[in-house]
Amino acid sequence: MELKQEIDVSVKQPHLEKKGKERYSKLYRKFIFLTLTCSLVPLFLVGWGIYAYYSGFSTIRIMDYFKNQVDHHREVIEVFLRERTSDLQLVILTHSPDSLQNHGNLRRIFSVMNQGNSFFTDLGLIDDEGKHLNYIGPYDLMDVNYSKTVWFREVMTKGIYISDMFAGFRNAPHFVIAVTRIDGDRKWILRASIDTEYFRSLVEHVKMGATGEVYLSNQEGILQTTPRFSGKIMEKAPLPVEFFSEESSIGIYESDNSDPGRRFPRQLVAYTWLENPRWKLVVKQDYAEAFRDANQANRAALIFLLFSLLIILVISLIITRHMIDIIKKQDKDTDSLNKQLVQAGKLASLGELSAGVAHEINNPLAIILTESQVMRDTIDEATGLNDEVKNELIDSLSQTESQVHRCSLITQSLLKFSRRNKSQREMVNLNVFLEEVIRLMDGKARGMGIHFALDLEKDIPSFSSDPSLLQQVFINLINNAADAHEGKPYGTISIGTRADSRRNGVEITVGDTGSGISPEIMEKIFDPFFTTKAVGKGTGLGLSITYSTIKAVGGDISVRSTIGKGTQFNIFLPFNPPDNDNENRE
Amino acid sequence: MKRPIILLVDDEVAFANNLLKLLSKRGYDVVVEYNGADAVKRVGEKEFDVIILDMKMPGMDGIATLKEIKKKAPLVEVVILTGHGSIESGIEGMQLGAFDFLMKPVRIDDLQEKVSEAYRRKLVQGERG
Repeated sequence: MELKQEIDVSVKQPHLEKKGKERYSKLYRKFIFLTLTCSLVPLFLVGWGIYAYYSGFSTIRIMDYFKNQVDHHREVIEVFLRERTSDLQLVILTHSPDSLQNHGNLRRIFSVMNQGNSFFTDLGLIDDEGKHLNYIGPYDLMDVNYSKTVWFREVMTKGIYISDMFAGFRNAPHFVIAVTRIDGDRKWILRASIDTEYFRSLVEHVKMGATGEVYLSNQEGILQTTPRFSGKIMEKAPLPVEFFSEESSIGIYESDNSDPGRRFPRQLVAYTWLENPRWKLVVKQDYAEAFRDANQANRAALIFLLFSLLIILVISLIITRHMIDIIKKQDKDTDSLNKQLVQAGKLASLGELSAGVAHEINNPLAIILTESQVMRDTIDEATGLNDEVKNELIDSLSQTESQVHRCSLITQSLLKFSRRNKSQREMVNLNVFLEEVIRLMDGKARGMGIHFALDLEKDIPSFSSDPSLLQQVFINLINNAADAHEGKPYGTISIGTRADSRRNGVEITVGDTGSGISPEIMEKIFDPFFTTKAVGKGTGLGLSITYSTIKAVGGDISVRSTIGKGTQFNIFLPFNPPDNDNENRE
Repeated sequence: MKRPIILLVDDEVAFANNLLKLLSKRGYDVVVEYNGADAVKRVGEKEFDVIILDMKMPGMDGIATLKEIKKKAPLVEVVILTGHGSIESGIEGMQLGAFDFLMKPVRIDDLQEKVSEAYRRKLVQGERG
């Protein structure tokens, strides 16, 4: 079993260690919580603020864009219809009915109207009874009577009429524009079919991304153009029927879940009503596509947020661990300092006590000694005593004086322990100094079968210290090392020196191959009056004085021991000892 | 031959009386005082060759007594005897003119030797003076 004891190391107490670990663990969790709270709350607030602002902003922007699109297309369609209506009005108002009844004239006018673009499919002049007076176009409609048709009734009433899409006599979806001319009590109607393909291209060819579509429906919800995805011309439009409104609208359309053909479950829809005819222009786009850019920006922000979260988490863990390590180190230092203070206080109190005790014992000892000497004188002068009694009395007095001397040595040690002397500093060459000490002790060691093994590093610089104090330290340690071999026929005391550039000093080891120190004793070895030596062989002050002395010269001492194998003291001495050891314990 | 006259100053009565007996038997005239003030007074009244002075006494301590004695009798030799064990107080005493110091408990032979040395020096000083 190997033991190591620093001066300031106390006995290990598992329950206290566990308590300490729990405390640090609790502190760790608290720090993590506080650090994360302080970091993440502002991050989430800023993130949420940016997200909310940007989402709102992008939604408004996208919706405005949709409304602008629908208004713009309405404008285009209305301009087209107004222009075609104006074309017809211009013709009927600038040409007499007789002139228009002339087939050649009407054909020439028709070709002029379609110059550049083929806006019109056909053109016909109809009287107020619904009969064709003249007709230019691909269909055979001269014999058709329109008096029963809706558009005829409407144009006769309103003067201008644009129809919804209808199949009519030609059985193909188309719509007509009709205008009237009144001459006296007679009315003539100029009616033209609009080129359906051209008109539909105005609406259907508008592209809105991959999922966008534009179409027209009438007031009954019948499609006037073919949407890109949702139905065909003349079929029922997917959106519910609504009344005419002058304002354009925008909203989100959720399709019916039960509809098996539904392509887009959620669409952004903008619509507006044309003035004449009352057609609804609808612009739709899949919601996901419409908001794709905004959603991508939000996703990027979310990834950034998560990344920031991860970085904050890692940094918090590292910083907290570092802080806990610092706190642990400070706690350890404080604990060590406290223990050193306790040890110093213990030594100081005992020092004062020792001085008092030594003084109080010295006086009675002096009296005992003088009494003994008085008795010696008395015995010398006594004439009635035979030699045997005299010798016995003198032996007893010698024993008394010997015990007084022994007590005197103890009190001298006590006084040495307590006395404060001025430190006598001079330059010490450590290796030479140690060799001198070893020479002093060599005789005693040889007598016990012990030899010295030296491992002294060369070129250790001389440094300022008190050689008389150091001598006492090493004599104490070597004495103890030698005594530790009691019962062994031979042994070794190893002494080594190593310069320690990091701490700017020198490390000295004094090891022995003796019996070692048991764990129960280990924590008491530096306490004053503690000794394991037989009564009368040790005062128990040697290691206390050693400890005080090493501390006094600014050094440090620790010990490690293996039962049955030996003990090693490690001593550190600084090259530049502190100046505050003017008053030191010897 | 003139017996050296010793003044013994110590507050420990038993110790002082023992030394009185021991020194008297060894050929010294010994006067005992048990405190510093009485010792100083006695020095003013009588001439002593050597004074054995305890350092730690109630009232006037050894150092103060030594100073006063040296004022009154500069040539008297003083051997300091202390149980206090402080080298400083011994050294301080010597700086104030004491001959030497001894630590309690002291063997009578050692004390006698020290007193004899002090007495010899007193005699030499006296002859020079």
